Amino acid sequence: MSAIVDLVLGVITSIGGFVEAGSISTSAQAGSEYGFQLLWAILVAGLMLAMFTEMAGRVAAVSRRSLIAAVRERFGIRFQAVPLTAELLIDILLLAAEIGGLAIAIRLLTGVSFLWWILPVGLAVWLVLWLCGFNVIEYGVGLLGLVTLSFVAAAWTLGPDAGDLARGFVPSVAHHDRARYAFLTVSILGATVSPYLLNFYSSGTIEEKLTEKRLWINTTTAYLGIAFGSVVSMGVLITAAMVLQPRHIVVDSYEQAALMFVPVFERWAIPIFAAALGIGCFGAAVEITLNAGYAFSQALGWSWGANKPRREAARFAFAFSLVLLAALAVAMTGMDPLRLTMISVALTVVIMPAVVLPFLVLMNDDTLVKTHTSGPIGNGILAGITILAGLLALIVVPLEILGG
Amino acid sequence: MDLARDLLDKLVVDRHGREIGRADAVLLDIRASAPPRVTAIEIGPAILASRVAPILGRWMRGLEYALGIAEGRPLRIPFDDIMDMRDRVKVDRAAGETVAAALEHRLRKWIAVLPGSS
Repeated sequence: MSAIVDLVLGVITSIGGFVEAGSISTSAQAGSEYGFQLLWAILVAGLMLAMFTEMAGRVAAVSRRSLIAAVRERFGIRFQAVPLTAELLIDILLLAAEIGGLAIAIRLLTGVSFLWWILPVGLAVWLVLWLCGFNVIEYGVGLLGLVTLSFVAAAWTLGPDAGDLARGFVPSVAHHDRARYAFLTVSILGATVSPYLLNFYSSGTIEEKLTEKRLWINTTTAYLGIAFGSVVSMGVLITAAMVLQPRHIVVDSYEQAALMFVPVFERWAIPIFAAALGIGCFGAAVEITLNAGYAFSQALGWSWGANKPRREAARFAFAFSLVLLAALAVAMTGMDPLRLTMISVALTVVIMPAVVLPFLVLMNDDTLVKTHTSGPIGNGILAGITILAGLLALIVVPLEILGG
Repeated sequence: MDLARDLLDKLVVDRHGREIGRADAVLLDIRASAPPRVTAIEIGPAILASRVAPILGRWMRGLEYALGIAEGRPLRIPFDDIMDMRDRVKVDRAAGETVAAALEHRLRKWIAVLPGSS
């Protein structure tokens, strides 16, 4: 019975925690500029995320090591230092973008400049992390995040044509501005397969004491939760495509993205959009901050865990507090959160090869995953994704210049 | 024993299973007339950073001096004090009594005054 409860809660929190600044901005831009044409990119990115999440959880459940710990032990610090440092720096940018996204959401409700809300938002994130254990953080944020299902409700109400939707799942060439189309495709990938998510998930597997015997929960949660979560991202794209594209509204700010709800929710459009954006960003901000504590502690062998009293894991608590402060400093510069999101997402794609490459080794190391190594098909797909990630890393910066 | 796989970078825990750090360096005794012998492991951010780049190690050492926690670091644990190294490296020490915990103790004093820290 408890396994079923764990599974249901895991899937629900995956849905509620899926959409945040990166996925809302990339999906809204894709929908408003290319209609349903980039639905396939969300599908592919979701499949990739599910695959990596499942593997990260499998390593953690079987070896009792998080992803970062496993990479340090298997590859050594000289391999890990550069990508891990880059990942932490990108996480600071992404965290600043999430904090900014939540501050913008509050501005939509109050009319007060978003800069006034940066510090209170940072304090709220820190208080949640300081006072709550892992389950409260994960399930609380995930359940609140179900408000993002409003994107699915909006898309459903608008009643898109099934044939048009189906055509969106077939990769196609853009009719205009192909560099922009390619940039948005790569950005959707970067926004979805965030490195912090993978380590957060593997750390959560250890926090929740999931064992090798219950690996099926990990597999089901990863694939089912992310499949439903991807539907929420698709809801953003479909709503933007049906409302914003015909009116030639391009999403270059969250305020314009909010207009996608007007035909469906009318006078409640802005409050509902603000709630979905704000809670999505808040959940991601909490997870990114917590993961920063995990990353430092696991790489350096410190005591860690959201369920431990903070004074018993003082370096862990200090590390996540420090990263939050750094992100607040970035957010306080007043840089547009949407722009910051798109930069973080592009940089994520640059480091993606170093994130996915270790899986090829870890998933074939029987000292780590025992009998649960990847088969030839899994390895083939993984190798293909690694090569693709390498190619995307090479082209993402030129694409950002040409089409960003 | 494969030093890179079985010892270097492994999690080091004390005799009660509490984290001390990671095996950031392995010290070898190399003699012309005999095979190399592992004499100790070292734990500490300065020695770890110097493995990435020597200048980073010097910067980290400077930071330890600035924080007043440089004395006795890096922590050196003789190979004879290693009790087990199958999954984690278990050593005959108490985590709280080693210099590796200096920063933890310092931060704990600050954190203890905040509500909700315990």
